[in-house]
Amino acid sequence: MTGVPTFTKRQVSISAAVLVLLALYPLAVRGSFPMHLMIMVFMFAMLGVAWNIMGGYAGMFSFGQAAFFGIGAYTSSFLLTAYHVNPWIGLLAGGVVAALAAALIGIPCSNLRGHYFAIASIAFAEIVRIHFNNWKLIGAAEGLTIPMQDESLRSFMFHSSKAPYYYIMLGFLILSLGVCSWVATSRMGFYLRAIKESHDVAKVLGIDVVRYRMAAIMISAFLTAMAGTFYAQYILYLDPESVLILPISVQIVLVAMLGGAGSVMGPVIGAAILLPISEVTRVKLGFKGSGLDMIIYGTLIMLISVYQPQGVWGLLQKIGRKNK
Amino acid sequence: MGNLTRRKLLIGGGALALSPLVVSRAFAQGKTIKIGALYPLTGNLASTGLDNKRGVELAVDIINGKYDLNLPLARTQGIPGLGGAKLEVVWADTKGEPKNGQAEAERVVTQDQVVGVIGAYQSSVTKTASQATERLKVPYVCSDSSSPNLTERGLRYFFRVSPHDGIFSHDQFRFLKDLETQKKQKVQTLGVLYENTEFGSNVGKEELKYAQEFGYKVVADVSYANNATDVTSEVGRLIKANPDVLLHASYITDAILFTKTFKEMGFNPKGMLTMAGYIEPGYLPAIKADGNFIIVRSTFALDLAKKKPLVGQVAGLFKKKYGIDFSENAARSFMAPFVLAEAISRAKSTQAEAIVKALRETNIPGDQVIYPWKGIQFDPKTQQNVHATGTLVQIQDQQYVTVWPFESAAKDVVWPFPAWKSRK
Amino acid sequence: MADQLLQQIVNSLLIGSVYALVAIGLTLIWGVMNVLNFAHGDFLMVGMFIAFWCYTLFKMDPIFSIPVCAAVLFLLGLGIYRFIISKVMKGPGLAQLVVTFGISIFLANLAVMLWTPDFRLIEKPLLSGTWSLGSVQLSIPKFAASVGSVVVSAGVLLFLKKTRTGKAILAVEMNRDAALLMGINTERINSLSFGLGSALVGIAGAFLSMYYYIHPQVGGLFGLISFCIVALGGFGSIEGAFIAGILIGLVQTLGGYFFDPAYKYALVFLVYLITVWIRPQGLMG
Repeated sequence: MTGVPTFTKRQVSISAAVLVLLALYPLAVRGSFPMHLMIMVFMFAMLGVAWNIMGGYAGMFSFGQAAFFGIGAYTSSFLLTAYHVNPWIGLLAGGVVAALAAALIGIPCSNLRGHYFAIASIAFAEIVRIHFNNWKLIGAAEGLTIPMQDESLRSFMFHSSKAPYYYIMLGFLILSLGVCSWVATSRMGFYLRAIKESHDVAKVLGIDVVRYRMAAIMISAFLTAMAGTFYAQYILYLDPESVLILPISVQIVLVAMLGGAGSVMGPVIGAAILLPISEVTRVKLGFKGSGLDMIIYGTLIMLISVYQPQGVWGLLQKIGRKNK
Repeated sequence: MGNLTRRKLLIGGGALALSPLVVSRAFAQGKTIKIGALYPLTGNLASTGLDNKRGVELAVDIINGKYDLNLPLARTQGIPGLGGAKLEVVWADTKGEPKNGQAEAERVVTQDQVVGVIGAYQSSVTKTASQATERLKVPYVCSDSSSPNLTERGLRYFFRVSPHDGIFSHDQFRFLKDLETQKKQKVQTLGVLYENTEFGSNVGKEELKYAQEFGYKVVADVSYANNATDVTSEVGRLIKANPDVLLHASYITDAILFTKTFKEMGFNPKGMLTMAGYIEPGYLPAIKADGNFIIVRSTFALDLAKKKPLVGQVAGLFKKKYGIDFSENAARSFMAPFVLAEAISRAKSTQAEAIVKALRETNIPGDQVIYPWKGIQFDPKTQQNVHATGTLVQIQDQQYVTVWPFESAAKDVVWPFPAWKSRK
Repeated sequence: MADQLLQQIVNSLLIGSVYALVAIGLTLIWGVMNVLNFAHGDFLMVGMFIAFWCYTLFKMDPIFSIPVCAAVLFLLGLGIYRFIISKVMKGPGLAQLVVTFGISIFLANLAVMLWTPDFRLIEKPLLSGTWSLGSVQLSIPKFAASVGSVVVSAGVLLFLKKTRTGKAILAVEMNRDAALLMGINTERINSLSFGLGSALVGIAGAFLSMYYYIHPQVGGLFGLISFCIVALGGFGSIEGAFIAGILIGLVQTLGGYFFDPAYKYALVFLVYLITVWIRPQGLMG
């Protein structure tokens, strides 16, 4: 069976080495841009991993993850600005709210497959966006500004350096990798893959399709919302146009697919490649206003889809097999 | 005696010859002073961003070159307080996203070492960019974002030169009152229409507030998505409510769509007071004569040249350099480089604290700006230019004509709005 | 004023029929080869730009540009199928979904590079103005676009039901393997359908250009709505797409008028979600 992860000693030692390098990175670089870039890489990697749980593993291709991202960001920010709730608690609250929203949308969509599910997810995310855009309680179109406080871990806010944000996001990423890995190797992962292969066969075999799909959606939503809270505490301002829009959802899917959907590490690789490309082309080419950077981006997506749909991870596995 | 004199002369002359080197070495940056400019150069608002860019580029040209214009630093080359150092712009593309506003502000400050930042047109992007510069303690001079709350955050490094939407909304109501008292045209009911992103909803909020203050009845309060495929429902509601005057805050795409739909469905209020989209350079070429008689808020209008020759001179330079008319967006972004450079020059320093102190003491007289303001002076608390006001222009014969304040009007306002069917 | 009610209904039908034409092209492609073209909205944009350039450079009114738009989009569709889509058909479903996103980003930004992000409008189309019919103001260009969409949709249906090629397309839609066994060249049918679907949205672009503004990002919302219409009508069903198009036009306009214009698209998406919950295969799927 493909895609069942096992961790060889070699993989573990490579991972450890990479982890050490990542931990030292903030000490080695100068300037805010390299740090910002890596933080974005970690954030999108986490979003991609979260997507993978329902997309890569369970075959539910969600193009509406921005809804959960936004729900997470808004929940913690609203609780903070209106009721002075600590953002870490807000983080958990956001995750719960997102998971509940996922359950809510999961019920009608649990029977949808493939392209139908994709469109339903887009429709759902757009409804959330439009509603938040008009909902005065949470700021509507003006959004929410996180008031500046003294920097501390407790207040989840740092001004003098990006390093704390870097380490926190890295921690979140490792957490989500752990969750994904657990899902993949557990019985749930086994069932999800069976459901992905064939919905009907799985049902006949007695697998509670709905229950496992719902679980996958909810876990995915929870993690995505966590990243949303991080975003809010990092940028200190959010409005529907910055957290609830379709391009964010699309970028999450691209990160997962480019890296390799259905593999634990895939999205990490995907983010590590896609984010620098999109940020660097914007910085170097964007200011001319010609759209060249996005043309390159679009071409890249087409090439990956056609020639390497299994993503980089798939490519590595192919090479690995060839070398055996 | 003659020998001493010659030696003194030689030493004096040598010292004089070397002094520029000494002077310039005192300023770590050497011969150029960098400022960061953040604008949406790609993405949905790219056409506006490029317009802003033109305004900034012209300003920097004037500052760096020698021009016989009554603008700060125009008659000298570069920044006189720093020995004529030239101003250099580091461009940053925000793509219209707030998170890029933050990232790009940080990048130009930490990596390119700019001494100040200008931009970013969209208020939501300016919000995050100026938060970043506040954290980094670098001055930010904004002359093109209009959200009122930008200067209500208590930031100490952020300055706004141009009017905000609260001022513009207030203008609209002062106009309606003036219309009643001076032109004997009474207005009782209002329709408030606005696109539903940050810009529009802020304006809507301000207008509803002033409507209450001034005692007008709001019979329609309609917000909509600015990329709507069709606005039949919105216009239908307006027709049903039948307001005397329509207040509309929009971007250019919805301005075009609404104008066409107003004509098509026969919506004929007594007057239309609009913002933003209707004064974008692309609006009139697209809508042509159907734009006539619509009133738009403006910081700038080409016919100001009649009362202020400086405007005509600058507009002429712009037209020569770019081949198109000096637009309101370009005119807005035009001023920020002057304010920042003038402060740097007065501070005679590239240190942030010195520049900020100089900014707070800014006092540029009214005849040195291209708008009908009394000048540029920042409120000590909010750091908003206290003299920033708007004007109202009306489209007549497909030109923007200043019609209010009535004292500085170039032509009389046409009121009421001639019904669509009655026009040729 | 009960006046507005009639006006709103009329306008719903007008916008709905154009939506329907946009959706028909999409549903044809889906029905035949199971590919959801996320770049469909951008194809619409290309169609609109072609009509614009024909008007600006060659003084051709949009009515006369219709065949040009159809032809160019047909070729574009064929090309994209040959060089991109056919290659992902054998791959995983996700790649098929994602590749069209790539095409979408590419086309929209190519348009920015070639034609700048400025907004264009065809200022003096032959068909302009309004007819006053009692309490209803009927926009002539919108009416023409609507009638045109109905005619073209009917034409497509006739083509599919009466011609040999058309029937072959329907056969492939119904059962690919059986069609293959019957000797139908399914690969040819694929490219033909992709080309035809693209041509249809190109025609819709020509119609829209008579009264809507044109710019590189214009395809976004139209594309999104057309996905909902296709799924609502049932993937692959032309009749379904048409009915769903009209329905969505009604929901959008009447919902916006009676409930709240700010929420009108949310209503569209909500109606879609509810319908798909009750009847996952769509109205006529």
